[in-house]
Amino acid sequence: MLKLKLEALGHPTPSEVALSNRKEFASTVLWLEDQKIRLYTIEDREKLRNLDNMLVWEEGYKKYCADVNMPPYESQLEQLTWLVGHAIRLEYLDDPAQYETINSQPAGQTKSNGALSQQKVQTIFNGSINVHDKEFISGVRALASKLKVPYHPNHLLQLEAVARIVHERVAPTASHKTAVTGTPFPFDKGNDVVSANDPALDYPMRILRLLQIQSLRQLQTQINETIVAVQNLTANPKTDTKLGKVGR
Amino acid sequence: MVVRPYVEELKYLEKINDHCWRIKKGFQPNMNVEGVFYVNSRLEQLMLEELKNSCRPGAVGGFLPGVKQIANVAALPGIVGRSIGLPDIHSGYGFAIGNMAAFDMDDPLSVVSPGGVGFDINCGVRLLRTNLFEKDVQPLKEQLAQSLFDHIPVGVGSKGIIPMNARDLEEALEMGMDWSLREGYVWAEDKEHCEEYGRMLNADPAKVSMRAKKRGLPQLGTLGAGNHYAEIQVVDEIYDKWSASKMGIEEKGQVVVMIHSGSRGFGHQVATDALVEMEKAMKRDKIETNDRQLACARINSPEGQDYLKAMAAAANFAWVNRSSMTFLTRQAFAKMFKTTPDDLDMHVIYDVSHNIAKVENHMVDGKERKLLVHRKGSTRAFPPHHPLIPVDYQLTGQPVLVGGTMGTCSYVLTGTERGMQETFGSTCHGAGRALSRAKSRRNLDYKDVLDKLDQLGIAIRVASPKLVMEEAPESYKDVTDVVDTCHAAGISKKCIKMRPIAVIKG
Repeated sequence: MLKLKLEALGHPTPSEVALSNRKEFASTVLWLEDQKIRLYTIEDREKLRNLDNMLVWEEGYKKYCADVNMPPYESQLEQLTWLVGHAIRLEYLDDPAQYETINSQPAGQTKSNGALSQQKVQTIFNGSINVHDKEFISGVRALASKLKVPYHPNHLLQLEAVARIVHERVAPTASHKTAVTGTPFPFDKGNDVVSANDPALDYPMRILRLLQIQSLRQLQTQINETIVAVQNLTANPKTDTKLGKVGR
Repeated sequence: MVVRPYVEELKYLEKINDHCWRIKKGFQPNMNVEGVFYVNSRLEQLMLEELKNSCRPGAVGGFLPGVKQIANVAALPGIVGRSIGLPDIHSGYGFAIGNMAAFDMDDPLSVVSPGGVGFDINCGVRLLRTNLFEKDVQPLKEQLAQSLFDHIPVGVGSKGIIPMNARDLEEALEMGMDWSLREGYVWAEDKEHCEEYGRMLNADPAKVSMRAKKRGLPQLGTLGAGNHYAEIQVVDEIYDKWSASKMGIEEKGQVVVMIHSGSRGFGHQVATDALVEMEKAMKRDKIETNDRQLACARINSPEGQDYLKAMAAAANFAWVNRSSMTFLTRQAFAKMFKTTPDDLDMHVIYDVSHNIAKVENHMVDGKERKLLVHRKGSTRAFPPHHPLIPVDYQLTGQPVLVGGTMGTCSYVLTGTERGMQETFGSTCHGAGRALSRAKSRRNLDYKDVLDKLDQLGIAIRVASPKLVMEEAPESYKDVTDVVDTCHAAGISKKCIKMRPIAVIKG
């Protein structure tokens, strides 16, 4: 995904950006600032340019993160993803009209998805809260950053993710849950094939399928619980060995 | 039947690759589609030899060779795709055992044929796991075999130990495994891990003759005779560690119980009744087939519909039957180890049907079509993420239980995407006969067969030892050849191999 985004921005070697290397990371950040973000004047970029002396660069980068208003991410990947996203946003805002014609079906679906989550949240609060209120939004954002939920432009979708994490991890019922036992099943090693030659499609597809399986499992468990509840009323297994007869 | 010299016959057969042969149109008259069969070099020899023998001058009567039967099925009205022979194929009534064929539900001329399901409707295999290991069970295997033998009546004319009256039977026929659940014989999770969730919804007990019900009533919860058995097995080899762990099989030596049984006399009577009705329907609707045994009726005709509803009732009977034996097996184990089935983790891994016709949706020539899929001696093998397989197996593909012959080994396979495309999600079901029952009786001595099992350290309890040579490994193809062919052809994937330590048989 990152590769695709860098490609879209016109990065000269998008497939060679190795995140394991701090220097590589630094030069990618510099490229983004130089070519796309342009937050600082050229003189102010002095410290960021200092790729030969990483100590100076780190100092400059720290200040830069604060100046560009980056949320406090921990990993390099998250930081770079945010920066690239920011660069794309700026690029788009330079001339939104240029992209007006680009409109795909999935993009339309995202919209309806957003509308759906808005409806959901509205019904929960019974219309008593304006979900587009600034305070509400900042509350959601604060909650999300506390629970380390990744940023999403639609705060309502982010709220859904927050709700899920609270339900799974934080709620009192969750702490009673017995830990999952057994050997973990590496999800990229199953017998199922998604798209062998396109990891950008393969990876998210597998995650989506796992989520689908998880919700199916919940449904099936509920069904089983219902059956057991009914069995408590009806079950009365009997055997009568006198009836048995072994054949010839 | 067309009689041609063997060399002439071979011109209609073409080897596509190492594991697959094509049967061209014209091999038998009026073929609507081509035939295909899967073999490896050893099974190929058996197949061709069978054909060669039937081409000898003066060879009249007897069984039709499997290849001819595949081609005759390809001549039935409404068949789509190809008529498919699996590696364990051998001659049967009408359809060969190990032949699958799909018919277009939207074609008014399409037929359903009881010969394509078989007489033992919903004959199938169920696998129970335990948390025991070989070392726990070895010292007790004789007692365990005896205990199983005492709990599960076996043999021709055996009667079950679960009390049932006529009303119970009516309900069981309609509800299938839901009846067993309601009465408390099985666990909720068992239903989840059963093909069709253990119940065919279109079952109608009113379409079943009194005679069938009379035969079936005392037989619920019995294993039957013939190739049916219950085996205590140990895991011998794990080929696909991840899929095995999804099935609760973690290590070699783990003990499992395999139950192979069907709908007993009930299903047999349903099939016999339907064949009589269908012969009349064939005359009325002017349906012509290459073989009298391929009696069939249009799916939408009253006879076709009646058969499908009665067949579904027989399928439900078989699931109740296997569920009852699951209950009895759990009881036997719990008593022996003085604990509960829950503590022994005796979950059903899966339950497959290998004699059944079902309505399924498949892709044919790039379009989704509603088909009536006949599987006779063939197991459904759906790939990962198919909506009809349990949620626990969404990542691995459907478990396919392949029972071997007495004293050899059994396998668990998983369904693949390739099988879905090539064989309508079907694969082999067992070893497949190589010698006819009569021939095995002539050639083998039952004492030798029993001695051999003894030497292998397998505890055995049989109701009728004098029939045991019919089921001797020598009478069958090698199940490993069969399974390896399916694996190599990619129509299913090897997962686990088990070997028996105790057998009970009819």
